[in-house]
Amino acid sequence: MPHVPAFASRRDFLRLAGNGFGAVALSALAAEEARGADALRSPEPDPLAPKKPHFEPRAKAVIFLFMEGGPSHVDLFDPKPELTRRHGQPLPASFGKVLTPMGTGGNNLLASKRTFARYGQSGLDFSDWVPHTARHADDWAVLRACWADGLNHVGSVCQMNTGSVLAGRPSLGSWAVYGLGSENRNLPGFVVLTDGGEPLGGPRNWGTGYMPATYQGTFFRGGPNPVLNLNTPAAVGAARQRDKLALIGELNDLHRRDRPGDTQLDARQAAYELAFRMQATAPEAVDLSGESAKTKDAYGLNDKATAEFGHRCLLARRLVERGVRFVQVYCGAGSAWDAHSDLEGNHTRLCGRADRPTAALLQDLKDRGLLDSTLVIWGGEFGRTPMSEATTGRDHNPYGFTTLLAGGGVRGGAVHGTTDEFGLRGVDGRVHVHDLHATVLHLLGLDHEKLTYRHNGRDDRLTDVSGTVVREILA
Amino acid sequence: MRPFALAVLLVLSAAAPLPAGDLPAEWAYKPVRRPVVPAVLSTEYPAPNPIDRFILARLHQAGRAYSAPADKRTLLRRVTFDLTGLPPTPAEADAFVKDESADAYEKVVDRLLASPAFGERQALWWLDLVRYAESDGFKADDPRPDAWRYRDYVIRSFNADKPYDRFLKEQLAGDELSPGDPDALVATGFLRHYPDEYNAVNLEQRRQEILNDIADTTAAAFLGITLGCAKCHDHKTDPLTQADYYRFQAFFAGYWPTDVAVGKADPAADAKRAAWEQRTAATRAELAKLEEPYRRKESVRQRGRFSDEYAGILDIPEAKRTPLERQLGAMVFKQVDSRSANVSGGMKPDERERWRALTAELAELGKDKPADPPRAMAMTDLGPDCPPTRLLKRGQWNKPGEELVPGYLSAIDDRDAECKPTATTSGRRAALAEWIASPKNPLTARAVVNRLWQGHFGRGIVASASDLGVTGDRPTHPELLDWLASELVEKKWSLNHVHRLIVTSAAYQQQSGAETDDGLFGHYPRRRLDGEALRDAMLAAAGLLNPKAGGPSIFPELPAELKAANWKPSADPAERNRRSVYVAVRRNLRYPLFGLFDSPDRNETCARRFVTTTAPQALTLLNDGIVLGYAKALAVRAAKEDAADPAGRAFLLALGRPPSTEETARLAAFLERHTGKPADALADLCHALLNLNEFLCVD
Repeated sequence: MPHVPAFASRRDFLRLAGNGFGAVALSALAAEEARGADALRSPEPDPLAPKKPHFEPRAKAVIFLFMEGGPSHVDLFDPKPELTRRHGQPLPASFGKVLTPMGTGGNNLLASKRTFARYGQSGLDFSDWVPHTARHADDWAVLRACWADGLNHVGSVCQMNTGSVLAGRPSLGSWAVYGLGSENRNLPGFVVLTDGGEPLGGPRNWGTGYMPATYQGTFFRGGPNPVLNLNTPAAVGAARQRDKLALIGELNDLHRRDRPGDTQLDARQAAYELAFRMQATAPEAVDLSGESAKTKDAYGLNDKATAEFGHRCLLARRLVERGVRFVQVYCGAGSAWDAHSDLEGNHTRLCGRADRPTAALLQDLKDRGLLDSTLVIWGGEFGRTPMSEATTGRDHNPYGFTTLLAGGGVRGGAVHGTTDEFGLRGVDGRVHVHDLHATVLHLLGLDHEKLTYRHNGRDDRLTDVSGTVVREILA
Repeated sequence: MRPFALAVLLVLSAAAPLPAGDLPAEWAYKPVRRPVVPAVLSTEYPAPNPIDRFILARLHQAGRAYSAPADKRTLLRRVTFDLTGLPPTPAEADAFVKDESADAYEKVVDRLLASPAFGERQALWWLDLVRYAESDGFKADDPRPDAWRYRDYVIRSFNADKPYDRFLKEQLAGDELSPGDPDALVATGFLRHYPDEYNAVNLEQRRQEILNDIADTTAAAFLGITLGCAKCHDHKTDPLTQADYYRFQAFFAGYWPTDVAVGKADPAADAKRAAWEQRTAATRAELAKLEEPYRRKESVRQRGRFSDEYAGILDIPEAKRTPLERQLGAMVFKQVDSRSANVSGGMKPDERERWRALTAELAELGKDKPADPPRAMAMTDLGPDCPPTRLLKRGQWNKPGEELVPGYLSAIDDRDAECKPTATTSGRRAALAEWIASPKNPLTARAVVNRLWQGHFGRGIVASASDLGVTGDRPTHPELLDWLASELVEKKWSLNHVHRLIVTSAAYQQQSGAETDDGLFGHYPRRRLDGEALRDAMLAAAGLLNPKAGGPSIFPELPAELKAANWKPSADPAERNRRSVYVAVRRNLRYPLFGLFDSPDRNETCARRFVTTTAPQALTLLNDGIVLGYAKALAVRAAKEDAADPAGRAFLLALGRPPSTEETARLAAFLERHTGKPADALADLCHALLNLNEFLCVD
């Protein structure tokens, strides 16, 4: 949530309230942008002031397209001819016991029904489920041997977001905002969007755990008012609200007169000012009426299958354009990719939802010169087993799965890591969630071992006691 | 701040305060020594409370003095919020202002300590500390419908001023130490508050996570140390080894969650239940027969999710299982047991029709079925023998090292624990409870008096209240901390004695100023209400607060924009207006106002809340329909209570003082310029009052 700095001197709140909100909010916004963040004369450190990274960053912002439920890497990015050949046979005994949540470890192998092809100059493999994403082959770096600790969704989604399968730790986006501050003081520094439902585990996935709530992600609801209680209730109306605010300001001023030097009181009053500015800027940021028909079409807004996710991808670009540091967009929120049965039907539908908007986002960022400074992540909390479940589905697979990265300092066309001949486990170039997180922070100019927060007597990190930057995919 | 010359201070004895910098780093692990109280003389405080002698001695060294005493209304509002979490009523304020007796304030303190609202307020910090919640967390976030009994136990204990040593012993080992006492069984709910993923299949990992949670929370809450840091390696700074960690954890290795009957025997209800059972026997038997094959199929399906190693435990007769197999077997059984699953979906059409008819019949017959006997979430051991505890390399559940027996923290006491098994338990937790509750334990009393201090001053004598260790903050007043700790033990662990000492000190009764981190306590730190107190204060001002105590949690309305499948507002609107401590605690859906104002998520222990200032807080207080409703109710109340000056009355109700002349003029001008109906104008004025810094902050 946007945190309110304690200003030593602010414009007269009365005047602000009296002049009508929208206009003042916008002019305040303009003034702030003109002065730059240094002009904020804050008597105490403002936790969201832009901060210097540890080293030169490659990315200024991150868009994490989270395919919730676990997309099947062996049907999308990691073709396995041996799996096709051994279809219907058991996994060789040499693979040992495989623990999965639905107990499918001993089931027979299930060949992919997809057709793979090589794309771009780099010749990256993509299946026919994601033809649009594939056109950007030379922008993507593919991590093919990702692995994680959890077996079930909620813990695994939690780990992909916070590094731990157990709830209570700050999320990746929170660490980014904690480390770098926010460049737009009228919007949250970390925004979460979904294409409908709510991710499993809910707010903990963008929460701050033991850090102050200042750095937490803000869940943007659908519709014109993305933040809870953003609008003045219609029954009250703008004029009454303005008068009410004037009275709050007057009485707070009298209260503060007898209590000089309390920055918390100043900050609380300033919160009302910021709330005003958010009332003006947040609806503008989510208003797509200024976007061209061509853009909307590219994101798939005119197609029922892609409209919801495409809309959120377009919002992600608008937010990044406005200085939001970290945007997370869930595709299939509520575990829609979880194809325990009917993988074909499920992934046809979900890929149909994800594919075009993903490609449009990359293209749009590129066209606007933002891709170089924006890291785009595409992936789920785990992949799926090469063994079948209920003959037509696949179970959870945290042992080896694919995550894609593009933009912001990533070497497009690179492939890192290999899974075994069936795509069950990573065999080399394995990238644990901690390694992925270390890499994301690295691209943002942050050293994951130095970005710490004191908690329970420890300097806690996103990557706990491990994490290695995957240098092989850096540009 | 008053000029120093106004307060003439003399340090007469040689017992000058020890600068915190001279403390050994491992001070908290050394025995508590009752220090000599510094003999400070002050012209302003001729007979200072012992606390003031310590505080003044340090202030004096810094060339400072106390701020002036707070005025009576301010002090009353402060101490009432502090002890009860509620604002004083106008009548209470009038009475205090008019009472000119020398002990007027002490009488107020006694009244507040005796009020039922006292325990309701104090429970809050304890519930934060023990990660209390009424749902499992994780994906399913299943409700824990009986968890509230623990919350009520905490409230009752604080209200009764239960000796702290007994309070902690009941929570750690009530089943072993007071097996016949239902209250002590409810207390063991402390060991049940871990977030739980009941449908996990990686059972040994899950078991280890539960044990970690219990051990870490116990060490943090009762000992105020970060023992969890020694999970993967010896503690980097504190004298805690990895072996200490797992020896400590071994006290809990035989854990066995159980739901116990509480409450008195009720033969009438029993008879009614027996009659119901007889009446429905035939129906239930037919239903069971119909469902049986499908239940079996469902169980087989569920069983198939587990590895053979885990599923196979079910085939071992209960008596032949090892203790570990019994624990894991119970975890499997809970998931494989299909008795409560609805299996009608798989039935053939004619069967399903019959099933529906029988279910309807049972519902009809069951209309007068008496409620099940009251139960509580409790913890005991699986028996006298526990699964072995091994040191886990790098803290990983599947990397066991050497086997360890229960033992205390070696830096304090390097003995193995002497545990006396009972017929049904290992005696381990009783041994640990006795050790923690021992007056000789250097951490226990220090940790809790420091928490009480933090509750009253916003920061503890040690600011890191659950880290008294080497990397934690040093105490600003080490002797005061030790004096309070020894005082607690000497006064039979009476927490109220310590509360009373603190709030009757001159330090506590000073004028307020901005919160500082200088640790001198040269003024009272102004504090913002937390979300729970803020809601209670709005309800109280509006005259809506329902003081009904105890029982199952309530569900106030949620903001209209929030969907909530498992949050059905309480049917009776008056129930929705009960105190915040009775609002349901769902891990995956904290009541929004509380979350917004920094309430922790209750997934892990929380020793001190943040105080953030964010724009969404302002948006909610300005635009939320529930808050608007409070404002309207305040307006109606004020108009009723003082038709001549409703604005002044509303001001008094909200802020506990009448408005000044200047403020009266502003209120009048606001009403004057308002173009709407008079009722709307007053409601808007009231809404503004609920948004004021003064309303949200305590001076």
